[in-house]
Amino acid sequence: MALSDQFLAPEPPTVRRPGPRARQANPRLSVVVPVFNEEDSLPVLHGEIVAALEPAGIDFEVLYVDDCSTDGSFAVMKRLWEADPRVRIVKFKRNCGQTAAMAAGFDRSRGELVATLDGDLQNDPADIPRMIAILEQGFDIVAGWRKRREDGLVLRRLPSRAANRLIAWIGGVNIHDTGCTLKIFRAAVVRSLSIYADQHRFLPVLSAGSGARVTETVVNHRARRYGRSKYGLSRATRVLLDLFSIKLLAQFSHRPLHYFGILALGFLALALAFAGMSLFAADPDPERGQQSLLQVTSGQFAINDWELIVVSIVMVVLMTVVYFAMLGLLGELAVKASGMHRRGILDRILNELH
Amino acid sequence: MNPAFPSEPPQGGETASPEAPGRRTHQAQPGRATLATSYEPLPPGALEALGEDEPMEPPEQVDVTVVVPVQSPDAEVREVFQALGNELDRQGRRYEIIFIFDGVQGAAYQAAQDLRREQAARPGLVKIISFKSAFGESVCLSAAFERSAGRYLLTSPQYVQIDPLEVGPMLEALDRGADFVIPWRHPRVDPVLNRVQSAFFNWVIRRIIRGQFRDLNCYFRALRREVLEDISIYGDMYRFLPVMAFRQGFKVVELPVRHLKEWGKAGFFGLGVYVRRFLDILAVMFLTKFTLKPLRFFGTLGGLLMLIGGAICIYLAVQKFVFGQGVAGRPLLLMGVLLVVLGVQIVGFGLVGEIIIFSQARNLKEYRVERLYD
Repeated sequence: MALSDQFLAPEPPTVRRPGPRARQANPRLSVVVPVFNEEDSLPVLHGEIVAALEPAGIDFEVLYVDDCSTDGSFAVMKRLWEADPRVRIVKFKRNCGQTAAMAAGFDRSRGELVATLDGDLQNDPADIPRMIAILEQGFDIVAGWRKRREDGLVLRRLPSRAANRLIAWIGGVNIHDTGCTLKIFRAAVVRSLSIYADQHRFLPVLSAGSGARVTETVVNHRARRYGRSKYGLSRATRVLLDLFSIKLLAQFSHRPLHYFGILALGFLALALAFAGMSLFAADPDPERGQQSLLQVTSGQFAINDWELIVVSIVMVVLMTVVYFAMLGLLGELAVKASGMHRRGILDRILNELH
Repeated sequence: MNPAFPSEPPQGGETASPEAPGRRTHQAQPGRATLATSYEPLPPGALEALGEDEPMEPPEQVDVTVVVPVQSPDAEVREVFQALGNELDRQGRRYEIIFIFDGVQGAAYQAAQDLRREQAARPGLVKIISFKSAFGESVCLSAAFERSAGRYLLTSPQYVQIDPLEVGPMLEALDRGADFVIPWRHPRVDPVLNRVQSAFFNWVIRRIIRGQFRDLNCYFRALRREVLEDISIYGDMYRFLPVMAFRQGFKVVELPVRHLKEWGKAGFFGLGVYVRRFLDILAVMFLTKFTLKPLRFFGTLGGLLMLIGGAICIYLAVQKFVFGQGVAGRPLLLMGVLLVVLGVQIVGFGLVGEIIIFSQARNLKEYRVERLYD
């Protein structure tokens, strides 16, 4: 993909498989599995992936991304790599997080389609062939929906449901479960985006913002068999804050002035409503009695305390309007300086694909 | 002559030609530079002399590069060289020592030049970088890093602060897989007052980064080359190099060491020092936690202000509409509104920050691949 190759880091040392290379150059599907301390699950997972994809006749590769696991995960991966020519491993220098692991997998994937899968066996690879079939009906992303989740209700399911409704509402993407790792993408979609800092859960929203067609399907979800969950409730607040930026990034990243313009208009409306309401329903001034700015007292304009404060507040809010317009211009500057506006061509690529 | 720049022409005489600005290209390729990893280029003409008669043959492999920034003409150049050099010789590690004179001449510079002459039998052992004026320790470190050949870097203060015998355990920790080894001077030989201030500073940092570092102010550090390839240092960042490395996922190890002596006077630092320290802490907190997600910082701050302002406004509204009290003359009303507006503006900053980071996302590869198994 010419889109991203020029920006890729220089090639790290690569260990080639000894002997004749059985692997196909460009498989149909790349399965990206971020792994952090999953030594028990990995062999089971790999068996399931093979069992799901081989009978379906899908030519695939599996990319395990080792996020600097501290247990024996890497040794397990290495054994899988030695035994199965379809396995590739990306080994990180240091712990970089799940988003980075996915980004690395996307960057190294060779398939036309890319599937992401949790390393902890909670997703069922058997869903993948069905999801590919759905994708081929004319979508760019098929997200998994864990309709019947096998997690704790209060700590995991309720916050997750609230966050998902918010994400869907704000991001304008009608899917129920953005947190499910099991998703299938067209390679052009993931390779045109660079995700960072927990953005993996917003991938459908971000891609939809640049023109991708997103749908979802119910997938199987299983309770954790090995290891323990690496998530907690504290993540929710961060997700909430990220939400506010995601609309900006997904839909307005090429024209930030519009986003700030809308915010500014909101404040302008607020100021005007406030001014209108306050001035005509004025607080009685004990000295001058009931009056408003529009009334003329003894031949000259007079302003009472209430009106003074209303005018001050309206001025402050109007300043915010100007301020937001300036911020919007600043955003335009940043976008122009980065050259990002010239890369916003996902729409066109996808149209060529379909 | 110089392992980092093997193609440079030999420089004759004491005064080498000033560095051409374009030649200071750093090693980081455009694709892998993260937001915080482009090296601050040295100002043109910053480097005065790279040393005199550098031999042209390629230098032998070097294990450890000792970096000594010199900021005082009284620096114990010879003592540092002997202490560390003897110890590294004893351990059989191949090393080089780079003295960086940060706008300093005088006795220390003379001593370093003498050392170079004395060690002429071991070419490349002593290197000298001299700045025309003081650029600070961070620039010293990057300049030395660009010219270093060792897999490991050992930075040392300009005097023998730590028992040289501790070099062995520190380097062995690197051998065992640590990326960064920082010393914990225990017990300290400082005056009590300095110890208290230092302890407080370290406590604040610990609270912020949630890492167990007891002593961040000691610059006798051993680190892998990769750390400086990934983290750029500028301004006062050299202080927090272990913190930045820790937050980037490097393995930072703290080793208790024997503290020999401490330069510097007892007493409270000036007010300016405290202000600078505070700003440093703020910068570190921001850079380590929020570089990629500025809205998480600005959003929290602005949201908090908006909450306070909103609470005030609601309180006043209740007073007016429920209890029928006039609120026009109360400054609290203006304060509430101003707090809300301030909060909104701070959130606005965060949004612009998000845009800047997002538009640069291509250049910030968050991850570092050690090896690919294809």
